[in-house]
Amino acid sequence: MAETSSHRRSEATVPTLIVAARRERDVRPHRLQQIEGTGAPRLIPLDREEFVMGRDEAANIRINSPRASRRHAFIRRHEEGFELLDNESRNGILLNGLKVYSAVLRDGDVVQVADGVFVYHES
Amino acid sequence: MAMIVKFWGVRGSIPTTAQWARVFGGNTPCVEIRAGDGVFICDAGTGIRELGRDLARRSPAPKAAHLFLSHLHLDHIQGLPFFLAAVPDLRVHVYGVSDDDTSRRRLLSGELGAEFFPQNVEQPRASLAFDQLDDTEPCVIGDVRVRSLPLKHPGGCHGFVFEHDGRKVVYASDVDLDAGQAGAQERTATSDVMTLRPVPRALLNAARGADLLIVDGQYNDPQYRVRVGSGHSSCLTATDLAIQADVKNLALFHHDPDDRDSDVETKVKLCLARAAKLGAELPIFAAREGVALKF
Repeated sequence: MAETSSHRRSEATVPTLIVAARRERDVRPHRLQQIEGTGAPRLIPLDREEFVMGRDEAANIRINSPRASRRHAFIRRHEEGFELLDNESRNGILLNGLKVYSAVLRDGDVVQVADGVFVYHES
Repeated sequence: MAMIVKFWGVRGSIPTTAQWARVFGGNTPCVEIRAGDGVFICDAGTGIRELGRDLARRSPAPKAAHLFLSHLHLDHIQGLPFFLAAVPDLRVHVYGVSDDDTSRRRLLSGELGAEFFPQNVEQPRASLAFDQLDDTEPCVIGDVRVRSLPLKHPGGCHGFVFEHDGRKVVYASDVDLDAGQAGAQERTATSDVMTLRPVPRALLNAARGADLLIVDGQYNDPQYRVRVGSGHSSCLTATDLAIQADVKNLALFHHDPDDRDSDVETKVKLCLARAAKLGAELPIFAAREGVALKF
């Protein structure tokens, strides 16, 4: 009897835990972790639709470097997470060392904008 | 005016949805090239579905697109019905090289039939126009020049060279670069490291000086040895082609459907190491869905 009762308890609790775990994962925002450049280290929660990266004082992610254009790049929400887009900058953007024009970001990607180096973390 | 190249599908043979292929992506071949006012598309693998959805969101929406089919194997045409449904107002010019143009029209029309694609006949979809390419004669579309060339692949295949305003992009998916080369099956990792491998002359000439060479790099050497005849290449031979052609960037393409992201990354490292040993400074990367480059 005791064994049956324990079995019933686990049946009742396990689905609840799974639902809770999924909710937890869904609400955590993706993050950009700056590991090099002025301002590092810092962790930037990607909790908006769009971020401007650049030298401009109004940029959401300011990169205080003469190699950065004023509005150098955008990070925009995408159906798969976030997308990085070059804004016709002078020096371009690097994704894992490759010069790209735009890219849908994946967990662990390293993004370089002028002297700023960032790691993208999915929730 | 620049050329923008975006990868929408990079996987070979069959799509994969595995989590371990998420970084590079699991859709089959589709590459978009934007040049001048034109939208040029290489192959209609499953990646073209997402391209269709993207085109439908663009403002202003393009009125025409030029689709170049390397060949008609399923992984290169499978996304077409979904693409056409996503962009009902688009005029799609389909280019291919074939001795029998009617076979292309027949196969693609068949794929759009109710037996294969359960679309409501009333539902609008993009219109198709079929155009023939000739390997001996480049075609000019707007201010973009496009040439085709034959590639070694079972059943035949073609590569395409896009030139615009002094820039050049070469698409050569599905090619066995080592076909007919004596000794290719006996190679080991170190046996030919100081010697550039022979590569097909026509492709070498076509790729010479290209800003970007997109080429089949599905296998490493051991994989190639056991799959000779499948019509795909060792990534190391692809590297040697890029070095000899003095291209500015090499994108390994048509990733094996069983390759994990880490396997693809290992291939890139192998190629970079080989290029370094051969004294070449060449950006080599694996084509990845959702990534665009500008030249």
